Amino acid sequence: MNETNDFHYIGKPLARKEDKRLVTGQGRYLDDVVVPGTLHVSFVRSPHAHARILGISADAARDLPGVTGVFTGEDLDKWTNRLRLAPQIEGLHPTEIATLPTDKVRFHGDPVAVVVARDRYIAEDAAELVEVEYEVLPAIASLEGAFAPDAALVDETLPSNLVSHQTFSAGNVAQRRGEAHEVVEASFYQHRQTHVPMETRGCAAVWDAGREHLTFHIGNQVPHPLRSQLAGRLGLSESQITVMSPDVGGGFGQKIALYREELTVAALARQLNRPVRWREDRTENLMAASHARENLCRTRASVDADGRILGLELEITEDFGAYCFYPANYMSRVVAMILTGPYRIEDYAFEVKIALTNKCGNGPMRAPMAITSWVMDGTIDAIARQLGLDPLAVRRINMLRPDDLPYRMATGEVLEDITPAETLESVIDAIDYEAFRKRQQALHAEGRYIGLGLCTVVESTTYGSAFYKSTGIPGSGHEAAWVRIEPSGVVNASVGLGATGQGYETAMSQAVAEGLGVDPSNVRIHIGNTDVAPYGMGSRGARGGTAGGGSLYLCAQKARDQVLRIAAHKLGLNSAQDIRLLDGQVERLINGEWNRTGLSLADISRTAYLDPTNLPEGVAPGLDFSLTYDPPPMTYSNSSHACEVEVDVATGALSIARYVVSEDCGTVINPIVVRGQQQGAIAMGLSGALLEEVVYDENGQNLSATFADYLVATACELPNFDILHHHTPNKRTPAGIKGMAEGGVMGAIGAVTNAVNDALAPFGVVADRQPLSPQYLRSLLRERSGTALHEGQELT
Amino acid sequence: MSDARLISLTVNGETREAMVEPRKLLADVLREDFGLTGTHVGCEHGVCGACTVLIDDQPARACLTYAVQMEGHEITTIESVGGIGLSPLQQAMHEEHGLQCGFCTPGIVMTFEAFLRDTPDPTEEEVRDVLSGNLCRCTGYQNIVAAVMKAAAAMREVRS
Repeated sequence: MNETNDFHYIGKPLARKEDKRLVTGQGRYLDDVVVPGTLHVSFVRSPHAHARILGISADAARDLPGVTGVFTGEDLDKWTNRLRLAPQIEGLHPTEIATLPTDKVRFHGDPVAVVVARDRYIAEDAAELVEVEYEVLPAIASLEGAFAPDAALVDETLPSNLVSHQTFSAGNVAQRRGEAHEVVEASFYQHRQTHVPMETRGCAAVWDAGREHLTFHIGNQVPHPLRSQLAGRLGLSESQITVMSPDVGGGFGQKIALYREELTVAALARQLNRPVRWREDRTENLMAASHARENLCRTRASVDADGRILGLELEITEDFGAYCFYPANYMSRVVAMILTGPYRIEDYAFEVKIALTNKCGNGPMRAPMAITSWVMDGTIDAIARQLGLDPLAVRRINMLRPDDLPYRMATGEVLEDITPAETLESVIDAIDYEAFRKRQQALHAEGRYIGLGLCTVVESTTYGSAFYKSTGIPGSGHEAAWVRIEPSGVVNASVGLGATGQGYETAMSQAVAEGLGVDPSNVRIHIGNTDVAPYGMGSRGARGGTAGGGSLYLCAQKARDQVLRIAAHKLGLNSAQDIRLLDGQVERLINGEWNRTGLSLADISRTAYLDPTNLPEGVAPGLDFSLTYDPPPMTYSNSSHACEVEVDVATGALSIARYVVSEDCGTVINPIVVRGQQQGAIAMGLSGALLEEVVYDENGQNLSATFADYLVATACELPNFDILHHHTPNKRTPAGIKGMAEGGVMGAIGAVTNAVNDALAPFGVVADRQPLSPQYLRSLLRERSGTALHEGQELT
Repeated sequence: MSDARLISLTVNGETREAMVEPRKLLADVLREDFGLTGTHVGCEHGVCGACTVLIDDQPARACLTYAVQMEGHEITTIESVGGIGLSPLQQAMHEEHGLQCGFCTPGIVMTFEAFLRDTPDPTEEEVRDVLSGNLCRCTGYQNIVAAVMKAAAAMREVRS
């Protein structure tokens, strides 16, 4: 698959096909799908973080005109199967979730009952009339609380709140500690966040009793796995369900799992034999959809006098919330697996501890392993601080060089076709590191504090089946595609991805165009409908490009081979060796030059469909192709980020003066789309590191359930991003695609925090938690009386 | 419901009637009663800007406005922007990749159709300030700002 020859359609900056309908308001999102006669639901949600359900009184709600019914966990337990999660992973406890709770609620916002009514207004009115009697239990609202000796159990079927615990060791970190010139310890706390797609969750379920078939409209990233989940939970077969994902207003990982509310709606449609729909409001989305992150990492690096890392130890603890929609170790385990990233570290050990708490459950959010690069490059900065070395020098001395590759990380993961040293040097050049240091010194005299943060990312992208197998997670990393050339020569194609704004209709048409040899304008991509699309694993973990684009590219090549075989026959040639398809025209190589033969794809498809007796012997009629593709266990992209900030030490206000990133994500299918993903990922990282924060008080009350409390960055807080390209193809994937779109988050949170610490270095303080709010930065400065330490100066 | 009443609204230059309860939001009437689903509802508390429409030519939140209040006012929605082709702003959003999922886009287009009408030669800082009333989770805003600046230039060209 080592194809790095010149592409004709891959790599072209085609403006997106999706745009016209979206800029004119003609996109069709879930709520735009009209379902006649539909009923609407509203969920009754717990006001308590942790409480036993003693009784539910719904008479007043049922009496409200327009209300069809009120249903509880007892009803749903009869109509659906529970979610049992018990993968064979050492140290991970199996868990089980009812569709709606029957015994107790586990977080503020947990759904306890559902109201069905004629419209959403009435449903919400009725939900307020449902009275639930609770016995309030002690709330577990922090990691410390979860691990306290007498802690209440979030899940009473478990022996403790430690739902998952794994350790790993390669080499001998204890011995390295003994040999070290110094041992450097550092700590990193990443706060709780949530995905905030601009379109909240929602769904519409239509049960056809005559055909015993469910049509489920839902904006979702993984239509086929979702259909399998629905079938299993409803006791239906996969042939009885069609999942249709229309235009989706963002996902970022929130639209993967089958949530309890969605399953409830599907079950109600079947039970009531009426269409039922749900539109989540923003408060529900912020409180009860899915949360992410909130982990605490501690590192201990054994280093020599030059800052070379001899051994590294990581302890990561994650606050997972109340429910496991994913194996609890899933996100943190990836952090631990790839922590060492761009650095040469042979002796490495980690411990991963996951706690259940009375908060909304965690799930993967764009860059589930987001904290990784901050922890690693933040540890490098801690080494530089402690040893009095230049942080850039410490990076250089530890970084993998081209002749180290392929490199087997201590965890066994193999890095190949990556260029971290190259991307680092290119951002250093672009930002002019030496000039920055001089400017920084000069500004100190004016009482101004600027800082430069560096962060180099090795981003795990396409997760192949072999990766899942090796980590014990059930499932596959394969993807599937079909390509059909219709009788007129136009091309339809499909893949199992679920679009949430990535421009697949454009980029994926370029992958097909390249494999086949037609202009992308002649290719239409059909995705999101499980009756149309092949069974693939959908969109998650930056797999769209390599798994999705790769399978379409390979499938289109399969189609091309057949087309050329027919073409050779029509041209009276013995083989297809010296002919090709370009822009839908068959060309022949004569004396080293390609010449058009006058034969087009339309001529060939007409023969294939309408005149099959003229096909070569052994060629069946039609031009209909399908293919599945399992990517390598893992592919990696890499990037280096440089962020310049200024901290106003009087107020703690942080401003970003410049942001440069150099990225290698392999072959780029569409540079416009890739640049948009890079910008969007960095923006999400900065927004999270600076502003966003899910806040629970000590009783587990969620205090951040509106956009006035949960702050998402606006155009005024984010800078422009300079993006440098350093793309080198992956030798093991179709067309050399690597995948991307999460690394920007990883690099941004590391680069901006490292920059703040560089700016605050004269004060001898270190920001080791996020968000980097003015209040937090001021609190650090207050601890040191806000006085800068300059050469030879003591703290006052 | 018993307190529903017939209202008459002027939307995109057409007079349209609907039976609505006084509490029904303009956004819901536009979407459910008139089938104008280009106006999106993102937060229902007036922060995200996805539901932005023009009321008497000024941007406003359709999720914070009751439909019954709108009798006697002119409502303009995304469906009326552009004509046979795209407006200069819509075209620039396309060319500059100023949208990804597109959910926030109609609100941004409505905000800046009004802004560029009143401010033909804005600075990037002014554009960012106005854009801060619309949340976008996909793009990081850079390309939206570029699109607005490009549209402003294109519209000045046409005017001169």
